[in-house]
Amino acid sequence: TKLILLDSLLQENLISTMPSSVTLPPKENALFKRILKCYEHKQYKNGLKFAKQILGNPKFSEHGETQAMKGLILNCLGRKDEAYEHVRKGLTNDLQSHVCWHVYGLLQRSDKKYSEAIKCYRNALKWDKDNMQILRDLSLLQIQMRDLEGYKETRHQLFQLRPTQRASWIGFAMSYHLLNDYEMALKILEEFRKTQKKPGYDYEYSELLLYQNLVLKESGDTAAALAHLDQYESAICDKIVLKETRGKYFLTLGRFEDADHIYRDLLKRNPENHEYYRQLELARKAETESEKLKIYDEYQEKFPRAQAPKRLPLNFLTGDEFEKRLSKYITTAIRKGVPPLFVDLKPLYSDPVKGETLEKIALEFLDNLSKFGSFDAEKKVQESPTCLLWMYYFVAQQFDLKGDYVKALDLVNKAIEHTPTLIELFTLKGKIYKHAGCPKQAVECLDEAQSMDTADRYINCKCAKYMLRANMVKEAEAMCSKFTREGVPAMENLNEMQCMWFQSECAWAYQRMGQPGEALKKCYEIDRHFTEIIEDQFDFHTYCMRKMTLKAYVGLLRLEDELRSHKFYQTCASVAIETLIQLHDKPLKDKDNDTESNPDELDPSELKKRLNKAKKAKRKAEQEKAVIEQDKKKKELFNKNRKKGEEDFENPVKDELIPDKLARVENPLDEAVKFLEPLLLLASNQTNTHLLAFEIYYRKGKVLMMLQAIIKALALDPKKFSTPQLFGSFPSIH
Amino acid sequence: MPSVESGRIDLGDVTPHNIKLLRKVNSVVFPVTYHDKFYKDVLEAGELAKLAYYNDIVVGAVCCRVDVSTGPRKLYIMTLGCLAPYRRHGIGTKMLEHVLNIVEKDGNFSSIFLHVQINNDSAIEFYKKFGFSIVETKEQYYKRIEPADAHVLEKFLSPAKITNGDTKDH
Repeated sequence: TKLILLDSLLQENLISTMPSSVTLPPKENALFKRILKCYEHKQYKNGLKFAKQILGNPKFSEHGETQAMKGLILNCLGRKDEAYEHVRKGLTNDLQSHVCWHVYGLLQRSDKKYSEAIKCYRNALKWDKDNMQILRDLSLLQIQMRDLEGYKETRHQLFQLRPTQRASWIGFAMSYHLLNDYEMALKILEEFRKTQKKPGYDYEYSELLLYQNLVLKESGDTAAALAHLDQYESAICDKIVLKETRGKYFLTLGRFEDADHIYRDLLKRNPENHEYYRQLELARKAETESEKLKIYDEYQEKFPRAQAPKRLPLNFLTGDEFEKRLSKYITTAIRKGVPPLFVDLKPLYSDPVKGETLEKIALEFLDNLSKFGSFDAEKKVQESPTCLLWMYYFVAQQFDLKGDYVKALDLVNKAIEHTPTLIELFTLKGKIYKHAGCPKQAVECLDEAQSMDTADRYINCKCAKYMLRANMVKEAEAMCSKFTREGVPAMENLNEMQCMWFQSECAWAYQRMGQPGEALKKCYEIDRHFTEIIEDQFDFHTYCMRKMTLKAYVGLLRLEDELRSHKFYQTCASVAIETLIQLHDKPLKDKDNDTESNPDELDPSELKKRLNKAKKAKRKAEQEKAVIEQDKKKKELFNKNRKKGEEDFENPVKDELIPDKLARVENPLDEAVKFLEPLLLLASNQTNTHLLAFEIYYRKGKVLMMLQAIIKALALDPKKFSTPQLFGSFPSIH
Repeated sequence: MPSVESGRIDLGDVTPHNIKLLRKVNSVVFPVTYHDKFYKDVLEAGELAKLAYYNDIVVGAVCCRVDVSTGPRKLYIMTLGCLAPYRRHGIGTKMLEHVLNIVEKDGNFSSIFLHVQINNDSAIEFYKKFGFSIVETKEQYYKRIEPADAHVLEKFLSPAKITNGDTKDH
């Protein structure tokens, strides 16, 4: 996060008399101004020098604002504790100085303590209520914290103070939009739009119009939104969005002929877009099979090489027509050698009739190809040898889906014998073993697969994942390190890169291995990524206003609002809660070192082995630590030498996550609740959320919450809970 | 009899990333095992070592080296083969033509030669089509397979075109 320039602060001090209690005489005032300039130009050493000159004089040694500025500069140099000390001192010496409060707010913000920062800014505004810079900073914090009412007030003030600035209008309008006050938002936007028209290609104006249109649509007046598009068509640069939006509006308003026209136009641009076909079906009111088929046949003719018109009909066709087209689709794909054919057709298996047909066709093809080398038994056309290969591959996946792992393996092995150089076969073999519950054999297959193309990161990651499923954490790390950054331990780099799939798998593995501390560490790491992603939006509040990418900006805000509904968060929260509950039920004994329990039953040789293992592990950990220290030193040196200091200081160093400490936390249930809260808020449509909630509140003895959890779970999935075994986990109900 | 569906045949480089595929092909196709040194040298062979792709799948490979053991500069084909289901699809031809091209462009080879187990009739027929002939038969050439004897097939090359007034020796 950058510290934004205090330019107006500078100006204010130049122009007006300082409202604070202590006024500096001209010589010191000049020095103070120079401090501000030095801060502005990142000349921190000089800034501190000037500050020393003021504070060195016993008459001004307690000049609050100078002390505050000194603190601010110290913060930029990474000397955080001193920074706070000075700023607080300065503030106590001059509680009526907006400068001091502003600086204190900046400090808090740099530590991501946003609510405290807001308080400081409000205090600053008490003493200088029309300070633009402070108002702007406050507005950023308010939108970051989603204090929408506060945001609206602040933007209103900014608007009144600086109506010539573009951002004032936009921010003002947006503050109403976010509060769903469409009328006000539209009024403001329209007034603003009138001032913006420029000749020629103006992307920013186009984006403004599209934003205005979005607000119109969300207000519910689709007709007005459509009329708006018609009026400003020539100024909107993003033609695709224009057409797509128009198409949606036509359908909403029942103007089917116009919709038909638009979607035909869009399909000409992109005949592979499934959404356009869907909309076209609606526009033509095609409901029966034959009506729909007409559309797709039309497009197969127009675009003979397009995939979608051939694939989409398979979803709604039945009977002979389905079989005929399916056969053709499969033969074409097998001839071409399309590896993901099975994945492509997999959804069809969920329909039992279609699944049966598919199976029949596939088995027939396989039979014919292996016996005669052709798809049909009348030996019409001889196919190339790869057809048999891909057919083996397809049918093996079919058996795998059905759960017939023996047959699946048999086929995949036949395929491997036929062509042992096809990597997909080994991947499939591993997958079959995985499904059959043999993780170790699965790893062998994946290891073989990745060795055949060591430049392919996808297969490398797949192999690492399979290793983690087999609880081979060290091996997985070593596998990933073939692609992660040099000189950094893979675990660390993967954390830095927010590689959450890897961390989730690690968490599960540690959980299976009974290492609660390590599992928790991974969960906290994942949770931190989510926090980071939410914090990262900060810079976009100003950036998007400036660049006019308003629709995308609102989309970003809405995404961030629901961020923790993501699967990755649900995973890490699940594992964390389950682990913490376990730790609550059975806290770790002192002797336990995060390995398996039963330390009292060790015989001497076992104990010796354990001790040696521990020694080795310690040595290795020390080695790794040394590497990390070295790298840290290298990084620090690099940062020091950087001339262009964009980042004035490292982001606040987060507390290190130590597995043992995490596993011995005082109140595991409270920690569990922290993980649960976002789930209750954003993932309340998942039964798992409520099951976890129940387990926590059961142990906390909060009967009302327990009941609530049960009710919600039952409402979501009544069938699942009719089985007696599930009630076994809720003994208190019995 | 309807014609065989023709597939796309491409030749690709051997790299440290895909060398295992070469090992696989060789281990399946040839009754002889090759040392790690063989594969180390192959990585330096450049155009003399290629993987053969049929419809984007590796199905064959060719590895050659320059041989000066008998005096004149010859090209020696160490391995050339493809997986059984893919034979008689033009892959061997493509690989051999690649080798012949190299030799023609280079212009400084007196001949190309290779060893073939005496019972490998299809191989002998194949090379004969390209102008190779049996010049010698080495008894007990192979140490661990039967028959142990091998034919030496060789194709002599016409001298390079005269450039700058220099003639080349045969």
